[in-house]
Parts: sequence; structure tokens; C-alpha cells
Amino acid sequence: MNSAAILSELRYLAPEIAMLAVAAAAMFVHLFFPRRGRRWAGYVAFAGIAATCGVLLLTPQSSGVIMAGTLVADRFAVFLKLTALVSALLTIGLSFRFFDVEGGEPGEIYYLLPLALVGIMAAVSSADLITTYVAFEVFAIPSYILAGVFKKERRSGEAGVKYFFLGSLSSALMLLGMALVFGLTGETSYAVISRSLQDINTHLALTGMILFFSGLFFKAALVPFHQWAPDVYEGAPTPLVVFLSTAPKAAVFAILIRSMITIFTGFRAEWSLIFQGIALVTMFWGNLAALIQTNIKRMMAYSAIAQAGYIVIGLAAWGELAQTAVLFYLFIYVFMNAAAFGLILLVRKGGTFGETIDDMRGLARRSPGAAAAILVVLLSLTGIPPTAGFMGKYFLFAAAVEKGMYLVVVAGALNSVISLFYYFKIGRAMFMEAPEASAAVSAPARRSAWAEIVIGVSAVIVLIWGLFPSLLSDFAASSVLIRF
Amino acid sequence: MTLLGIPILTFVTFFPLAGILVVLLLPGKRGKAIKLAANIVTGLELLATLFLLTGFNGASGEMQFLERAVWIPSFHVQYLLGIDGISLLLVLLTSLLTFLATLSSWAAIKDRLKEYYIFLLLLEVGMIGVFVSLDLVLFYVFWEVMLVPMYFLIGIWGGERKLYAAIKFFLYTLFGSVMMLVGILVMYFHYGTFDYMAILQSGSVLPGTLQMWVFLAFALGFAIKVPMFPFHTWLPDAHVEAPTAGSVILAGVLLKMGTYGFLRFSLPFFPDASRKFVPLMIVLALISIVYGALVSLMQKDMKKLIAYSSVSHMGFVMLGLFTFSPLAVKGAVLQMINHGISTGALFLIVGVLYERRHTRLISEFGGLSSRMPVYAAVFLIISMSSIGLPGLNGFIGEFMILMGAWTVNWVWAAIAATGIVLGAGYMLWLYQRVMFGKLTNPANESLKDLTLREFATFLPLIILAFWIGIMPKPFLDVLDKPVEKIVRIVNPGYYETAAQAPVRLPAPVPAKAGSSEAR
Repeated sequence: MNSAAILSELRYLAPEIAMLAVAAAAMFVHLFFPRRGRRWAGYVAFAGIAATCGVLLLTPQSSGVIMAGTLVADRFAVFLKLTALVSALLTIGLSFRFFDVEGGEPGEIYYLLPLALVGIMAAVSSADLITTYVAFEVFAIPSYILAGVFKKERRSGEAGVKYFFLGSLSSALMLLGMALVFGLTGETSYAVISRSLQDINTHLALTGMILFFSGLFFKAALVPFHQWAPDVYEGAPTPLVVFLSTAPKAAVFAILIRSMITIFTGFRAEWSLIFQGIALVTMFWGNLAALIQTNIKRMMAYSAIAQAGYIVIGLAAWGELAQTAVLFYLFIYVFMNAAAFGLILLVRKGGTFGETIDDMRGLARRSPGAAAAILVVLLSLTGIPPTAGFMGKYFLFAAAVEKGMYLVVVAGALNSVISLFYYFKIGRAMFMEAPEASAAVSAPARRSAWAEIVIGVSAVIVLIWGLFPSLLSDFAASSVLIRF
Repeated sequence: MTLLGIPILTFVTFFPLAGILVVLLLPGKRGKAIKLAANIVTGLELLATLFLLTGFNGASGEMQFLERAVWIPSFHVQYLLGIDGISLLLVLLTSLLTFLATLSSWAAIKDRLKEYYIFLLLLEVGMIGVFVSLDLVLFYVFWEVMLVPMYFLIGIWGGERKLYAAIKFFLYTLFGSVMMLVGILVMYFHYGTFDYMAILQSGSVLPGTLQMWVFLAFALGFAIKVPMFPFHTWLPDAHVEAPTAGSVILAGVLLKMGTYGFLRFSLPFFPDASRKFVPLMIVLALISIVYGALVSLMQKDMKKLIAYSSVSHMGFVMLGLFTFSPLAVKGAVLQMINHGISTGALFLIVGVLYERRHTRLISEFGGLSSRMPVYAAVFLIISMSSIGLPGLNGFIGEFMILMGAWTVNWVWAAIAATGIVLGAGYMLWLYQRVMFGKLTNPANESLKDLTLREFATFLPLIILAFWIGIMPKPFLDVLDKPVEKIVRIVNPGYYETAAQAPVRLPAPVPAKAGSSEAR
């Protein structure tokens, strides 16, 4: 492959290049305008990421591999990149609110986020083991900083360090798995490996797959590789948790799906079983652990874990419908998570944001609109119509029923019931309990309505896609990955 | 048929949404305007549902006023509405009871009016939607949508243990319905459609074991709603803690969704499994009848007493459905309506006292008939209707069910009949303790009789109680064909033997009942 061909293929990378430009622009604004630069860097990042969404949709897609077989720029990638970008947009919106109230805005986040996005976008597109690994690290390093960026809060530093150590561990696991696969085949490209792995010692290859997947499960916080998540989510600044809990999953699920149908296509029975098991324990563990939390942030951390468990059902139930369901759910998951964590930014107690369920008491009287929007999102998280969350679960369950996986479906259905209990602790506090008599709990001194905007937009979108799911599911269905 | 240019069923389903919009736009301080708006909307909704009658062909067993549109094309989900005689009666019951419940809330609800009426109207959308939708997914959506407003009605405006009761109601019913969802999905991959009529027309049924499992999945969803013993424990809590309007709608409409589901979906979709599970369903129905009545006997709280009586009465409906005889099935549908009328009215009656005294303990009352003569008369009529006194509605339904059950197995009828005796026991005893005797409690000295508004809420129910009791024919006529259609699927043997030996049919119902089953 000559360099001219590679240069001409750069046009497929327009979104990644644009995102790098956004990061650079935000960094310069932050550096050269010391007084207002921090917030302006944020605006630059927000506008830049939004523009990149447009670039992403306009960039031509290639049907085959590009850049010497390391990347793919297909519709599947576009869908998941869009998912990550939207997550970043919502994160920045919530960050404005968070730092408006807390002060001490770290301008770094506005170029670290685009940098992390570049990593995620590359990982989503990657079709080569080395590229996958490097892309994940490009994402991981900024994200460790993002978790620990809020210096005022000790827990944030702790979260950053924890995330760093456990993240490195997961990278190591993934690398080990890759090394096994590479050792067996002598190849790094997914497509090539898939041809040569067929007739190779299956035990070693299976071990390689399990290690590789374990690393990915770690990054997606699936049980039993989830222990870091609640601590990190609790400590990290709330808006950034939205990003950390959703965007990497787009990359993880992309890699999982790509590798499932190429490298590990011969292990279909094994990985289906693994995914069923992971789905079961993730749903149950996440939901049961969420039941006993009193801190909303921790509760939502476990909720985010459990929600990912539902998505894994779609991986287990391999097929076009299942993949549509996975894409659909990942996309709405971003909105639901943003609103669920954004809820914390609505209430101020003492010098911090109200983090316990009791702090939400009487919110429906203080701000009925926001409470109604949160209610819609809670319904969606539980999976009650007419919300997108219901439709997402419905597609996932349907895919599993199609394959006769009744056990996971029944378990998933049961988990919806379990989750109702803790989600509606918040509903109950907002609507049914009287606000505390003391004035300790109040709305934050308002300087911006960003949290309300993010929650409101999420609620409206979740409702629209619940009533007219085809708007999103057709897009998802046309983006499924059938083959390279 | 259309109303204001909108297809009629869409109109009656979503009209309350317009009311929600109006209430939403009114400022929260204008309490009276909000109340008035809600009452007008539910009143207009009642008129709109009555308008259905003008175009309805009662002699047909087909689905009418069909509306069909594609909703989720990739999944063959349709927006498919239609009603037959069974749904028609239930839609009318829903709009009537919602209207009366709204009217009864006028003085009872004092705070957060705006939210209250929004939830009430939203509830109506869900309830009507359940009875008119013929696509399984659409049905499921309405089925679930309804849970949320009811949860809030109990949880915000309920009694002392409202928080517990609200979440218990929500968890129980959601548990049942998610299992039903799994069943619906299994059906989709067998039939390739969610269309109720297409599934029936296909003439095929799920294979043996699978059919049983799916039947059980549906049955769990429906049985919790009915509620059948042993799934009934959410009911006393929810009924007792709910505000009066909530109890009226819970007992009057929500419970019917369970039995409606059995009749509409379980019996025709899973005929083999239905037949196979007859012993189980009948035993549970009989336990519900007797157990519900026995527990009612020993209640100290009026609302709890009526709540448990619902378990007993709904047991009758289940008994009627699972005899698979057209007579009893029709009786069961009529009994659904009757129970809505009489139990709805009973909760209103308790509500009247609760509003005045803020207690529902039977021991707090006694001798009220001297202070509240009109109330006493209303209470008496409704009690008699609930007991099943000939000439009133309850009698017709119970009698038809018992007769149908008798022809299948006399033991069932005999056990169920004890439920009627016990029913007379607890109702009369309740009436005696509350209304008769000496007025001993000084707090009751100044009780006021029914106001005009309160009387107006009872009047339609009393008229209906007499009407069905004396002239049930118009109600039974619309049920004839739809019920026959379902029975033909689940119990084809009935019509074959009936054709060979028409003499075996039971004797006509006494003239007073006015219904002739001779064929």
C-alpha cells in the first residue's frame, strides 16, 4: 500500500481529525485567555464536538478496511461514535452547571474530553489488535485525569488513582489476551486472524479470548469486573461520571461485536454462554447492590452497571435484531445516565450537592418541571412504557426470545421489577415526601440552567423514542455490523 | 365513525389528554377551575363513550370501529384499536366510574389538586386504552402506563401507610406484567404478528409445553391484577390506603383488566392450556371466593372489608370464565360490570363517612340511619346489589355463573354458593353495625346527610343496579356473539353436544331475571 493511497483514505478519518482540532483549539483558548479562558474553552469544546457530530454524519463511509487494514469506517462505527459524542456533549453541559456552583473550574477537562473521544472513536473503528490497544490507551489516560480533576474534593483524587491502577490492570489483561491470539496466528488484523484461527489449538485461543474479553469487561464495568466502578463514580465529579460511565462502553461494545464476528467467530457457542452468564450476574448484582444504597451517586453507579447488563443480553443473543437492540439501548443509555446523574446537580445541601435520597424530598414542589422530567427518565430506566427504556428492553428481550434464551429474558424481566424499587425511592422522595423543614436543602444558587436543560432534553428524547421508536431503531438497524 | 374528525376510538382513548393539557395550563391556585375542568373533561369523555353506542352493532361478534396504522414497522407492531361487546361494556364502565370518581373528589382532595387531576386523567387514558387495543404490544403499553398514575394516586393522597401500599401495588403488578411481556414476545416469534385478530384467524396454537408456559406467563400477569388467591395480598393494602377515587377505580376498573385479559387473550390464545389448567384455576377461584368472604367477615375497617369482598367477587368471575360455558362466561362479564357498579359505590359510601369523620373503623359508627336517612337508603340498595338480591344487578351475574358452573360440576357451584351466603353475612352485618342500633358515639351526632353532589354520584350507579337487575337483556345481547366466539375456540365440544341434544340446556332463568338462555 503506497502513501498516496493512505493519504486519500484520510478523508474517512475526518471526524477524528476534526476532534483533534477541537482539542487543540480548546487547549489554546484555555492557555491564552487566562481570565475567561476556562469557560470559553468549554464553549469551544461544546461547539466543536457538536460540529464533529455533523462531520461524522457527512463523512463518506467505506465498506472495507482502510489505513493498511487497521481501521474501518462503516455505519456501525458512525453510530457508536455518535453515541460517545452525544455523551460528551451532555457531560459538558452538566459540567457548566457543576462548576458554576462549585467554582474552581478546571479548564483542562475541555480538551481532555475531546482527546479521550479521539481514543474512543479510533477504538470503535479499529480492526487490528494493536490499533485497538493503542486507541484504548489514548482514551484511558485522559480519563484517569478526568476522574481526579476536581482538586477541591479529596474523593476525586482517590477516584483518579483507583481508576488509574485498575484501568492499567484491565489493559494488561486485554494485552495478554491479544498476545495469545497473536502468538497463535502471527497476525494482528481481525480479518486475517479470523481466517487463520479456525484450525489452531482451541484451548489456547479460548484462553486468549477470555483474557481479551475480561479486559473489555473491566472497562465496561461488567460484573465480576466492576468493583472499581462505584468508588470511581462516587468520587469523580458528577458530570464526568456521565462520560466515564457511558462513552467507553460504546468502544467496548464495538470491539466486542467486531471481534465476536471475526476473530472469535469459531467460538460462537462459548461466547454466547459467557455473555449470558455475564448478563445474569451483572443485572442481578447491579440491581441488588443498588437496592441498599442511600447515596444517589452510588446507587446510580450500580444502576449504570445493571443497565450495561441488559445490553449484554443483546450480545449473547447474537443476530441482526440483537445488534439493533444493543445499538438502540447504548444510545438511549447515554441520555438516561446523563439525567440520572444530573439529578444530583439539582439540589444543594450545605456546601455540597445533595447526594442522598432524602435530599430529594419535596423536589416536585420546588421545581415541578425538573421533577416530572426525572420521573420520565426513571420510568425509562425501569423500562416502563411509553419511554425509550421500555422499547430498548423490549428489543433486547425479543432478540433473546428469538434465540430461545428464556432464562436470561426472565431474569431481565425480574430485574426490571427489582430496579423499580430503588428508582422509585427517588420518585417517592420527590413526589410523596414533604421537604425537610430546615432550610439546609435548597436549589443551588442559580447561575445557569444547564442541569435542567440536560435533564429536560433527555426526558423529551426518551419520551419521543418511546412513542416513536422507529426514529432511532431504523437508524440502528441500518448500522448493524454483518461482516467486514 | 369519527368524532370531531378524529376516529372515534382514538378520540375516546386520548381525549383525557386534552384535559391534562387544560389542567396543566391552569395556574395551581385556581383550585376550583382545575376541579371544574377535570369534571367537565371526564363528563365529556363519558358522553363520547356513550356516543359509541350509536354506531355499535350489538348483533355482531366482530371487532368494530377498527383503526389500523403501522407503529413500529420493523417489528410489525401496529396501532390497532377495535371493540366488541365485551370491551364496549368495560369502556362504558370505565368512563362512568372515572367521571364519578372525579366528581367524588371535589371536596375530598384539598392539596396538590393539579397533580391529582392530571394523574386521574392519565389513568383514564391507560384504562380505556387497555380495553380498546387489539395489538399485544399496544395493549401492554397501556397496561403499564396505567400503573404510574395509580402509584402516585395512592402514594401522594393515600392514608397512613400510603408509601408502603403504593410501592407494593407497583411492584406486584409490574412483576406480573413483565412476565406477560415475555409471553407476548414468545407469541410473536410463533405467529410473526401482534395482531389479535390475525393470531386467532391463523387457527394455529403454540405447541404443547410452550403453550402451557406462555399461558402461565400471561396468567401470572392477569391473576395478580384480578387478584386471585394467593396473589391478592397487594389489594387490601392498596385499597385501604388509596383515596376514595383511587379505590373506586382500583376496584371498579383495574381488577377487571385481569379478568378481561383472561377472557380476551388467555382463553382463545391458549385453548389447550386453558383446559388443562381448569382444575388449578377453579380451585384458586373457589379459594378466593370462600377465603375472601371469610376474611371480610372479621374486618374492623370498612374499606378493608370491601377490599376483601372484592377478592371473593372476582373469584366468582374467574369461576364463570373457566367453566367455558357461554352462560357462565356471559355471567362473568356481567358480573365484572356489576362488581364495578356495586363495589365502586361501596367505596364511595365509605368515602362519604371518611370525609366527615376521618375514620373508617366500624366500631366508631352505629345508628347512623337516624341522622342520615338518604345515605342509609343508598347504602342499603348498594349492599343488596352486592349481596345479590334478586331484582338487583348482582343476582343476575352470580346466578348465571352458578348455573353455568352447575352444569359442568355441581361441587363447584355448591362451594361457590357458600360465598354468596357469607357475602350476605358480612354485608348485612356491616350495615347493621354502622346504620342500626342506638347512636352511641357523640362524634356522630352532627353528621350531615348526603349533599346533592354526593347523591348525584350515587344516582347513576343505583339506576344501573336496578336496570341490570330487572332488564339485563340489552347488556347480555351485546355479549352473545363475542362470548360465543371465544367459547367456540376454547370449548368447541360445547356447541357440538348442544346441537345434538338441545334439551340438555338448563332451564330458563326466572322471569324476573329476564334473560332467556334457550337456544
